[in-house]
Amino acid sequence: MKIKGAFSPDIIAFCCAQSAYQAADTAGSMRISYPENIRVIRVPCVGRVDVLHILRAFERGADGVLVLGCHDEACHHLSGNTRAKNRVQKANTLLQEIGIDGKRVEMFTLAPNQGSRFARIANEVNERIKELGPSPVKSAD
Amino acid sequence: MDSELRLGVFLCDCGNTLSKAIDFSTIKTDLENLPDVTYVNISHDLCLETAQKAMQKDIEDKGVNRVVVAACSPELYEKGLISVIQAAGVNPHLLSIANIREQCFWAHPDKTKAAKKATTQIKLALNRARFLEPVEKTRIPVNRDVLVIGGGIVGIEAALELSNLNLKTTLIEKEAILGGKLNQFPNLYPLQVNPEEMLAARLKDITERQNIDVLTSAELIDVNGEVGNFSARIKESNEEVVRNFGAIIFASGYNTQFSSQIYGFELSNNIITQSKLEEILKFSSEVKEIPKSVCFIVDVSGEHSRVSTLSALRNALGIKEKFGSEVCILCRNLKIDGAGLEKLYRDCRNNGVLFIKFDHLPEISKQNGKIKIEVEDVLVSEEQVSISYDLLVVEETSVPPPDSRFLSSALNIGLDTQGFYQENNIHLYPTASNREGIFFAGNCHADLDLMRALTEASNVALNAYQLLAQEKITVEAERVIVDPNKCRFCLTCIRACPHHAIREVEVDHEKMAAQIVDLACQGCGICAVVCPAKAIKCKDGSDEQILSELEPFGEHV
Repeated sequence: MKIKGAFSPDIIAFCCAQSAYQAADTAGSMRISYPENIRVIRVPCVGRVDVLHILRAFERGADGVLVLGCHDEACHHLSGNTRAKNRVQKANTLLQEIGIDGKRVEMFTLAPNQGSRFARIANEVNERIKELGPSPVKSAD
Repeated sequence: MDSELRLGVFLCDCGNTLSKAIDFSTIKTDLENLPDVTYVNISHDLCLETAQKAMQKDIEDKGVNRVVVAACSPELYEKGLISVIQAAGVNPHLLSIANIREQCFWAHPDKTKAAKKATTQIKLALNRARFLEPVEKTRIPVNRDVLVIGGGIVGIEAALELSNLNLKTTLIEKEAILGGKLNQFPNLYPLQVNPEEMLAARLKDITERQNIDVLTSAELIDVNGEVGNFSARIKESNEEVVRNFGAIIFASGYNTQFSSQIYGFELSNNIITQSKLEEILKFSSEVKEIPKSVCFIVDVSGEHSRVSTLSALRNALGIKEKFGSEVCILCRNLKIDGAGLEKLYRDCRNNGVLFIKFDHLPEISKQNGKIKIEVEDVLVSEEQVSISYDLLVVEETSVPPPDSRFLSSALNIGLDTQGFYQENNIHLYPTASNREGIFFAGNCHADLDLMRALTEASNVALNAYQLLAQEKITVEAERVIVDPNKCRFCLTCIRACPHHAIREVEVDHEKMAAQIVDLACQGCGICAVVCPAKAIKCKDGSDEQILSELEPFGEHV
């Protein structure tokens, strides 16, 4: 077991290949640092992210999940980001029902050039998940 | 595909810059002990041709059938690497990239932590590689005819450009004659050349072209099919014809409308619209009572005000020249972004045209047969100014053509909040619709002056040509597939698809199923998520591939 003070949460970030993934690249290119425990998964569009994917992430030990897509009205696939938003809400309620804080899943929108915004989101979410502590799924092992 | 997995891993230390932080040789031995890993190689510059040649040779020699690369972001060199593995005989979809530069070493200053993350990322990419599936290319024959909707100057220009590119074009126009807005208001469009002459030259040109078919008094009713094979129902003077096209260009323009709701008053003999003024100026010698003072008001209703602003500037000058009246232009934000327009504005000022900027719409009332305007002058005095004029020329609002709402739902193309056609992405794909093979040009989707609209007409013709340059389009076949046995034909995917890329097919006796149209599909994967029966599979980003990246976590590595 890890000591609480040194808790470093595992966070999965589903990133849209058109925007958020490139924003993560931009953050790196600008040498803006963010916690290394955030792991990026590249998806063709956040509309590809299923509630199931989010829940599976928790099942496999993630402490938090981020869904990062394009800004409102700027989705290359028109409705991908709004669909993702709804799914994140759905995942929130489902998690809440089984006793995991729904706040562990969040959705944000950004543009490819917003590297600093990506880093800011990553830092903020990391702090929030740290506050919440390890996922109950993890400690159940 | 061969059943045996032969994974080849190529680690790139970016010209030795990453090797200071991470020890690739231990990772190499580590990886070599993993099952199915056939070959591990350390390179310094996979972006360079020599290294890529070596990589290609290694893939061929070692019989690698899945390639994993740990290097910079796939946004940079994915395409190059794909051509390398393709040259080595591996399907382009069997490449998995671990982004260890931008998203590891460049983002995390702590070298040990970054190295740990990089190791995980490489293993995850290996995990993903196991679930990659090949996608074959196929060539689909297409119809090379193009339909242009709208016989205004933009439609005409697009048709001429397409004809230059040897594509057979059908131009349909709702009215009985071609020319659109330019017939009614030649002065609306500021140009060095005379718009009437320009239009006449183009109309003459169009009649001489063999490969342009003009249908006047014709309207589009419905379109079936997908890019490359659209079938359009066109009503041509009470007769219905069906024609097939490979691409469709909307150049249906816009309408203007005076909205008394915005102003709070109706038109009268001394409150007229800009188009009425155009008429008056056209027959200026017949004007009996010359107005001593004229006031224009523009930019009252938001975004679409470029054309009306230019028209006000031009006509203000016209009035000065012809009648010598006192002229004032009330504006919120003067849009004069274009070649020669700054000069037009200066000419106006030099000729004594007065400009007053407002934030809030001025109060307008009638007093002793004159128009009394009370406006807060935001630039000079910041005080309420009261002025009176003989004639007020009001801006008409641009409204979308009346059939745009109907056509957008019939064709499943998007509209913006004002009802104009919505481009796929205003910055990246300014003339593309959400559907492959349907394009927009001119003022049916954007606020453009004539020069910009003409440029767009040429661009859109090139876009269509890019698609239909050859008799057959090369496309990736079955990148997304529907399992007809699982499909319950609930139509959810057909409704959800943003690109209208799913059609219904009969698979078996009376059994219907959804089918992805390879030509129109853009691979977003929305259908795979919404399908309640999980019958749809994206080969690029399948559930297995996404889930494979969720492991291993933290210390479980």
